[in-house]
Amino acid sequence: MAFSSTAAATAAAAFASGHRSAACRPSSKSSSSFLGASFPRVSAVRRCAASGAPARRAVAVTVRAQAASAGGKKSVLIVNTNGGGHAVIGFYFAKELLAAGHAVTVLTVGEEGSDKMKKTPFSRFSELTSAGAKTVWGDPADVGAVVSGASFDVVLDNNGKDLDAVKPVADWAKAAGVGQFLFVSSAGIYTTSDEPPHVEGDAVKESAGHVGVEKYIAGEFTNWASFRPQYMIGSGNNKDCEEWFFDSKNTNPPAKILANFQIPTRTNLRKKRNLAGIVRKRPVPIPGSGMQITNIAHVRDLASMLALAVESPGAAAGKIFNSVCDRAVTFNGLVKMCAAAAGIDAEIVHYDPAAVGVDAKKAFPFRNMVPPH
Amino acid sequence: MAAMASLKSSLLLPCPLSDFSGAALSISSQTRRRSWRSRGATIKVSAAADSKNILVMGGTRFIGIFLSRLLVKEGHQVTLFTRGKAPITQQLPGESDAEYAEFSSKVLHLKGDRQDFDFVKTSLAAKGFDVVYDINGREAVEVAPILDALPNLEQYIYCSSAGVYLKSDLLPHFETDAVDPKSRHKGKLETESLLESRDVNWTSIRPVYIYGPLNYNPVEEWFFHRLKAGRPIPIPGAGNQITQLGHVKDLATAFGLVLGNPKASKQVFNISGAKYVTFDGLARACAKAGGFPEPEIIHYNPKDFDFGKKKAFPFRDQHFFASIEKATKELGCTPEYDLVDGLTDSYNLDFGRGTFRKEADFTTDDIILGKKLVSV
Repeated sequence: MAFSSTAAATAAAAFASGHRSAACRPSSKSSSSFLGASFPRVSAVRRCAASGAPARRAVAVTVRAQAASAGGKKSVLIVNTNGGGHAVIGFYFAKELLAAGHAVTVLTVGEEGSDKMKKTPFSRFSELTSAGAKTVWGDPADVGAVVSGASFDVVLDNNGKDLDAVKPVADWAKAAGVGQFLFVSSAGIYTTSDEPPHVEGDAVKESAGHVGVEKYIAGEFTNWASFRPQYMIGSGNNKDCEEWFFDSKNTNPPAKILANFQIPTRTNLRKKRNLAGIVRKRPVPIPGSGMQITNIAHVRDLASMLALAVESPGAAAGKIFNSVCDRAVTFNGLVKMCAAAAGIDAEIVHYDPAAVGVDAKKAFPFRNMVPPH
Repeated sequence: MAAMASLKSSLLLPCPLSDFSGAALSISSQTRRRSWRSRGATIKVSAAADSKNILVMGGTRFIGIFLSRLLVKEGHQVTLFTRGKAPITQQLPGESDAEYAEFSSKVLHLKGDRQDFDFVKTSLAAKGFDVVYDINGREAVEVAPILDALPNLEQYIYCSSAGVYLKSDLLPHFETDAVDPKSRHKGKLETESLLESRDVNWTSIRPVYIYGPLNYNPVEEWFFHRLKAGRPIPIPGAGNQITQLGHVKDLATAFGLVLGNPKASKQVFNISGAKYVTFDGLARACAKAGGFPEPEIIHYNPKDFDFGKKKAFPFRDQHFFASIEKATKELGCTPEYDLVDGLTDSYNLDFGRGTFRKEADFTTDDIILGKKLVSV
């Protein structure tokens, strides 16, 4: 962060809490890593299921609802955005569900033939259809027609950022008797705090669209849950924040940034791994001190969390979950980790965006503040 | 707060300091003590059935003051091993005469210098203790004679430090993280290693920054001096460095919860506040705690100055915070104080009453603020 008081003021925003059990590792399908802090009642629910939970099963609603409450196979509708950082969430969630034997329909906003569909994860939808998923396209405001009147046990809205976009889906789901409504919100809605991390229940920006949605679905559904992710990475990502580090146009900063810095020419002989047989030192420009903290989670972990909510609806009902990694990382640390992953050496070049005349928001793929964790 | 509320109710035991009923203790007592059967079939919730002969190394300065009170209240026999330089007991601000009389009449003192290893060994062996709380140990050599003197020791509970963690870009620190054998706290690390290598039931607690009434480390006091003087608060860098404070009473509670707790056997626990705080945020929290107006914060680049041997800021200039999830999950305890409440407690019982440990010294502030020192 640049050493200026105005910059520091914006940098005081906090990061949200991710519990230790939500580890930053690709989680297995049976993901017991999430049975810790985030889902404390999961084991209780499972014991109840095993012992018959007579009170719940005796309530005869419909055959489908009983099967759903038993944690059996579900039919799930994913209303998915057609671009941006969250697009990949629906893709991985669909894969988790399919692997667990659930029936999946993905409704992608817009048209199947649009240019947006040429990018990942959409370009990889064959991986879903070959596993049995239905993929449809259309306007979420017309969801009932787009899914041709099909009914579902669970609906995930991974599209709307405000009530205008989500309300039609929520209203349709309620009228159709959908048992569980899930929403991908955002950890960006927490208000700035001096005391990180943000935990669920902390104050949020009332004007944020996602907040309006959370309130609405809480009022409409008994069984609802909201998931607040920060930054997602993973292959198939539509918005490649991690790619930024590997793109040479970013990692060769313009002359005006380099003007005051000397880039060493001697290569680091300790790092033997290299690309194309050549050890390269790549300068990576970071605005400010590089001490700013962010939270990056693998989308597979968020997908596991969503799948657990589907399989243990009782444990998730009525709750909000931060969907982030158990550790935050500094911008400096992130660069070092990307470099290590790529087997190249990175030379971090710190600069003051104001002094150089660069818009910090555009200069770096992560928000220049401490986000929720 | 739905998720957290559910989490708490399903996983945690309540543990307010004033009402420590030792639920964890009675569970462990069932498994370990055969003699409780002779007391009847009912499980005694109070820890009187488990009264221990406890030795506290130190105990008259800060953490030990609160910890020893907690242990005495629970019915244990508590002996403080100190050189006697500080009064063995002192009435705490806010403590009633009756409470103080009760405590001071019960707590025992063993006078000695823990650096005198022979004395330590013979005096401890002569008395025999069930449990040792080592609050002031710094080096492994200090611990060896204690272990030698007490071969039947039930538990050695050590106050280590989160300062042992190797600096990292990935935070918070977890108990399993890499430690730094070259840190200023390497003596603590070596002590932990010694405990691990000896056949003793040990527990190690790693606090981050401790605060609260009677703090002898100028943590909150540093801010309070400046706030009281109406001075701006100079903070290095951008002030967004993240640190973490834990109230001394919550630390004492945690120390109490590991006593006789099988889940604490040969385990390390980070103990601190539930939330972290930025440097700027801490300045604001101290202002709130003392009823001061919003402080003026001046940021500076520490590299632009030479302060000589003086410390211009009481915290290490980096992110430094640790996760307390392990303690929350395993010991069933969450901190009672949030930051502003805790700082208010500290202010009301200490600085706000006109007491503090170190006189205000604004030398480095003035260097930063560019004021010339005028010698009178």
